[in-house]
Amino acid sequence: MYDFIRGPLMWAALVIFVGGLIFRIIQMFQLSKKKERIFFTSTSSGEEQRGGDYSPEERKLRWLVSFSNSIMGNYPILTIITTIFHICLFITPVFLLGHNLFLYESWKIKFFSLPESLTDIMTIIFLLCAIFFILRRIIVPRLRAISSFNDFLLLFITIAPFLTGYLAYHQCFFNYKTMLTLHILAGEIMLMAITFTKLGHIIFFFFTRFHISSEYSLIPGSRVW
Amino acid sequence: MTTPEVKSIDKEKIKDILNDKKGKMKLSLFVCAHCGLCAESCPLYRAHDRNPEYMPSYKVINSLGKLYKKIKKLDRNFLEEIKELIWKNCVLCGRCYCPLGIDIPSMIALARGVCRSQGISGVYPHSLGAPEEDFPEALSHIGVSEKE
Amino acid sequence: MIIAKVKPLEEIKDMVKDYPKVLNVGCAGCTAVCLAGGQKEVDTLNTQLNSSFKADKVSFQVDGFTVERQCEMQFLAELDKIAGQYNAFLSMGCGAGVQFLAERFPRIPVFPAVNTSFVGVNKDIGWYEERCSSCGDCVLGITGGICPVTMCAKGLFNGPCGGPEDGHCEVDKDIPCAWVNIYERLKEQGRLENILKIFPARDWQNQIQGKIILEPYKKRYIK
Repeated sequence: MYDFIRGPLMWAALVIFVGGLIFRIIQMFQLSKKKERIFFTSTSSGEEQRGGDYSPEERKLRWLVSFSNSIMGNYPILTIITTIFHICLFITPVFLLGHNLFLYESWKIKFFSLPESLTDIMTIIFLLCAIFFILRRIIVPRLRAISSFNDFLLLFITIAPFLTGYLAYHQCFFNYKTMLTLHILAGEIMLMAITFTKLGHIIFFFFTRFHISSEYSLIPGSRVW
Repeated sequence: MTTPEVKSIDKEKIKDILNDKKGKMKLSLFVCAHCGLCAESCPLYRAHDRNPEYMPSYKVINSLGKLYKKIKKLDRNFLEEIKELIWKNCVLCGRCYCPLGIDIPSMIALARGVCRSQGISGVYPHSLGAPEEDFPEALSHIGVSEKE
Repeated sequence: MIIAKVKPLEEIKDMVKDYPKVLNVGCAGCTAVCLAGGQKEVDTLNTQLNSSFKADKVSFQVDGFTVERQCEMQFLAELDKIAGQYNAFLSMGCGAGVQFLAERFPRIPVFPAVNTSFVGVNKDIGWYEERCSSCGDCVLGITGGICPVTMCAKGLFNGPCGGPEDGHCEVDKDIPCAWVNIYERLKEQGRLENILKIFPARDWQNQIQGKIILEPYKKRYIK
């Protein structure tokens, strides 16, 4: 079993992940097209809006208004927790000593790692954030209204690699080999799930917020659906 | 008033309309993380006491999402059911904000387009679905000659 | 909102009689609410046109398609696929929508089926009244919520003209004098000193096409 998930299944997961990534990116480019930009040359009309030089008080007020209407203003706790969640999600696996040793053993690639105590703490924080999400999905009425089994399943799929990795590292519960097998399996399932489920919001987010031009794009985009 | 016979719907036409935007629709429905962050951006949600039925993602999932899933077993009753959701619960003001960048107004517009193609539309006068019997003169102002 | 009224049938027929296949584009926005150009109105007009031309023995076919709003390109995009099949468009949207439609399909003649009348309110079903002239310099705060540009027949800014009789305008006895109403309103609110303010002469030049680009979005469009 261990050899299977360490060998063929790992390659399969990687191929599916990279293949799916490319597929999704191509799909998104195909579904959108270059936008025809409309320009206006700087007008000299007398009654133009403010030129942009605001007093410090005004600047502060404007910032406060746009902040309180933003997502962080409306959901401050959620924003903080999800930011921490996502940071831990990305940084922990990439800079984990265990993973990088594995990488070195397999492909002789040296990669920077964080101290193990730090990644340990980050994993715990991640798991706590995940529990917060689960509870939130059950308790908050507007989320209950649209949540389904899939949402909880995907949360679990995301948690599983971290949980099993933590337990494997600390060698609690089952024996090390079993836990490690489960961990690798969980990681592979998660990689495969990214392109087939809403976990693909990773790719989608960057594409739509940076490429598609809309009222809410983070930079003026150059494409439209 | 005799009960109107329930006309069947033209599924081919509906499929054509959906196929036109199929990629975008499927992608949007699929990527929706059900995070609920679009709620506060909807003025109707805020005005109706934060009722989840006014949440943009709720509206899309329960109209277009269900429509797409049930496409084979679609019938007129279902379209009538979602009529309120996409006409009364939404004014297509376009203020809805999705952190993932899903174009929510176009999804609602697509659902409306499907309903409209089958002759179902949001009705004015202002109670949704006011029967024309209440307003016998309705529409008699269209196509009159100059000498009214 | 924008209030429009459907043109008489003869006028519409005259516009489209030379085009054998026409698409009647409705608008589910303002003109739908004022019962001039929504889905039902499109269907009704189409029935009238088809039967009328048939009676005249003129070869004619009109189809209908209602878009959400004709003032937004993303909704007009729904017509892209079917536009090529038609010789002309009839639009039941407001003047702005007709122009946007014509802009999107410059090779296809576009005809307005409604007369865009004013910016007004729904007093009740089928009853619409003008309230705003879009002058671009709103003084409603000072006049207690009654617009002197729209509601005063002469558009006076500094009080009644001396013509009102019994609170009614000398131009038309059925129109209440706007300034009498403004006075009453301000009196009720205890703000009569507003009426003592003198407005300077206004620049009524409205020759250039109005354009507003909101400050936060300017960067997107400047070359």
